[in-house]
Amino acid sequence: MNSTKTTVASLVEKLRALPKSSVWARRFAALAPLWTLAALFLFFGLASEGFLRPINLRNILTQVSTLAIFATGMTFVLLLGQIDLGIAAVAALSAMLGAHMFTKMGIPEPWPILSGIGVATLLGLISGVASARFRIPTFMTTLAMQLIAGGLVTYISKGRVITEVSDVAAFLGSGKIGGNDGLPVIVIVAIVMLLLGHVILRYTRFGRYVYMTGANKAAARLAGVNTNRVLIIVMTICGFTAGFAGIISMGRLHSAQPDATESFLIDTIGAVVLGGTSLAGGRGSMLQTVVGLLIYGTLRNGLDNIPTIDIYLKEFITGVVLLIALLINTVFAGREQRDQTI
Amino acid sequence: MDVNKQPILELKNISKNFRSIQALQHVDFDLVEGEVHALVGENGAGKSTLMRILAGIYTEYEGSYYLDGKEIQFHSPHDALEHGIGMIHQELSVIPELSVAENLFLGRQPVTRWGIIDWRSMEQVAQKELHSLGFDIDVTMPLERFSLGTQQVIEVFRAILSGARVLVMDEPTSALSPAEVKQLIELVKTLKSQGRSIIYISHFLEEVVQVADRTTVLRNGVSVGTLDSQEATVDRLIGLMLGREITRSTHPEEIGSEYQETLLEIKDLNADVFSDINLNVKRGEILGLYGPIGAGHFDLARALFGLYKFDSGSIILDGKTFPHGHSARYAIENGLAYATESRRKSLLLDDAIYRNITMPHLSKIGTLAPQRAKELAAAVPAIQQVNVNPPDPLNPVGKLSGGNQQKVAIARWLTFPPKVFIMSEPTRGMDVGAKSEVLGLLRKFRDEGYGVIVASSEPETILAVCDRIVVMSRGRIVSRLENKNLDKDALMRLI
Repeated sequence: MNSTKTTVASLVEKLRALPKSSVWARRFAALAPLWTLAALFLFFGLASEGFLRPINLRNILTQVSTLAIFATGMTFVLLLGQIDLGIAAVAALSAMLGAHMFTKMGIPEPWPILSGIGVATLLGLISGVASARFRIPTFMTTLAMQLIAGGLVTYISKGRVITEVSDVAAFLGSGKIGGNDGLPVIVIVAIVMLLLGHVILRYTRFGRYVYMTGANKAAARLAGVNTNRVLIIVMTICGFTAGFAGIISMGRLHSAQPDATESFLIDTIGAVVLGGTSLAGGRGSMLQTVVGLLIYGTLRNGLDNIPTIDIYLKEFITGVVLLIALLINTVFAGREQRDQTI
Repeated sequence: MDVNKQPILELKNISKNFRSIQALQHVDFDLVEGEVHALVGENGAGKSTLMRILAGIYTEYEGSYYLDGKEIQFHSPHDALEHGIGMIHQELSVIPELSVAENLFLGRQPVTRWGIIDWRSMEQVAQKELHSLGFDIDVTMPLERFSLGTQQVIEVFRAILSGARVLVMDEPTSALSPAEVKQLIELVKTLKSQGRSIIYISHFLEEVVQVADRTTVLRNGVSVGTLDSQEATVDRLIGLMLGREITRSTHPEEIGSEYQETLLEIKDLNADVFSDINLNVKRGEILGLYGPIGAGHFDLARALFGLYKFDSGSIILDGKTFPHGHSARYAIENGLAYATESRRKSLLLDDAIYRNITMPHLSKIGTLAPQRAKELAAAVPAIQQVNVNPPDPLNPVGKLSGGNQQKVAIARWLTFPPKVFIMSEPTRGMDVGAKSEVLGLLRKFRDEGYGVIVASSEPETILAVCDRIVVMSRGRIVSRLENKNLDKDALMRLI
């Protein structure tokens, strides 16, 4: 036992001791999530016949698309070192409100969809303002928002599923471009959202402010950045993406269900962090989120493609693989994140 | 010191590399009982590395470590403490929210036989121990109620209470006011008279000369000499540290300022921590705000820059009155620059130098989207102007030495020059070489016609660069002086 421990320790030490000049080794280490993804792909490709078929690859993309829209906003939030616990409930509210307006009140599109997304965005704005102006941690404001949005969903739906959705929502969620074998609209929407997020984070002044504030709020303030405004805008963006994801999810399921998006909160945070974005803020990117999403999707889909695995074990295996992937991420990519308290 | 005494601790032929950098080369060091042995050297000379080996933080090195004549190898700081070697860190490791007594017993609180913390005996012991060393404070109060100096003292006591015979003190006074420094030095002397052995690491050579029985000087990872207390003078130590004879320039150069125009005017400024502040800064002068920590001068600097709320009064820069409650952005756009006392707070250590420099100016460099090429073009001249070493703009700031980090914090304001430059504690924690470079930069700004405000609690810094000095104490201005024929004593007596 002790000898394995020392072997691992010396291996890690060796990797850390790599000379600075070995750019390739460092690049290799920095891309740890990408190697995890490649390893999973290789494994499932060998273990299952159907996995690498184009139709299945398209399935993976379709399966992670809703998650991707959630994750776009969440990436902003985590980069800022904040958290949004309300996204799943806010998404449900957006969908339920849209469906209720369209079905029960007979209001034509685009008003129901716009109202759903608008309310979600407004809730994000409120969390942001409450946290920025009154210095309440986003953990608390968004927890409250989870209850508020969840409560409104219950009130509007009375616990019932609305099984009729507008054509617009259905097109966004389950339409295809180019016939039945074509590209799902939902994938295009997800890609557009991720790309937009990437451009904002990477190429705009606001994006830089997000990184600065997340990495070192004091330094950002000293450089004249209005960190309160950055927080408010980021929480608003996350509200918007949650609302949008709610509508998309409704279109995909052809119904608005009070609890359809429940699992998305943990999945979203998991996927973003898996990509290598730090919960402490300042480190990460939208591209890393894309990798995290693909790891998540590959894992979920791959396990479904291996018929010999006990269906009741899948969640357990997912958890174990996630933990391993996170460990690999920190050992390789997080070389600077060693405990430096002493 | 009795030279015939056996050393209780001895390091022989210690070497340590970090990747390709040789941090220590064949260093010998020893400590006898009841001695204060100081360790000095410029930043990067290897002091911290040696100290970390002493305290069991670095466990891999070449050479041997003897304790009480027996060779020993520590596996952790905890292990070292078990053997009686206690470390007092530069940054306090006490927990401000807990009571004094609890801090003293952190991690080894006495328990009753029911396994419940025995508060009564803990507080009694704490009170008694502190009393025996001449400190009478209420140990049930949370530590944060006490001054930084007292907190530092508690940190020392904690190491002693956990059984340390050897105390390793790393820059124990760097954040203390002069009065607190005196208190700490007295404490060190008391501890010595009780037979404890102390390794004292400090940038403040005057303290070292006062307190040390022997002083070992490190330069570039090599021990270049150990001086007895009779031999050790500040000048000799500096000479050894730098490896050359130094020409002293602690006296400010006489200046006949050609500018007399008032640039910044502060009228009746009031806030919770300062009151009735009236000041002006002229073009081409360096104004010093001197006071002990807590005098309000650092908060005044922050208030000018829009980071600290003031209640009343006005700030007029170059004829323009700032609106009440102005933001830092407003201050920047109207010609103020500010570098704080904490580089950790003002820089993004993981980020490249050039990005740290362009941080406040992104709106000028690219309205919507800053471009790397433009940013580099803006940053590189500034980097050259302050002589950052190494000058690679893509290097992360965290890899630079403290002095070079400070240069980056200054260079940030040169791309779009301000009218008045405010600096808090511009040379804190820096070695001699870096200090004189930074002070040289401040003089250069003055000569180029900027106004400069230096807020500091270090009289040396103030005396070295300022043309006029405003002395603050407890939030008020107590004295205004021309910096002519002033010395440290005179300044410190005014507080």
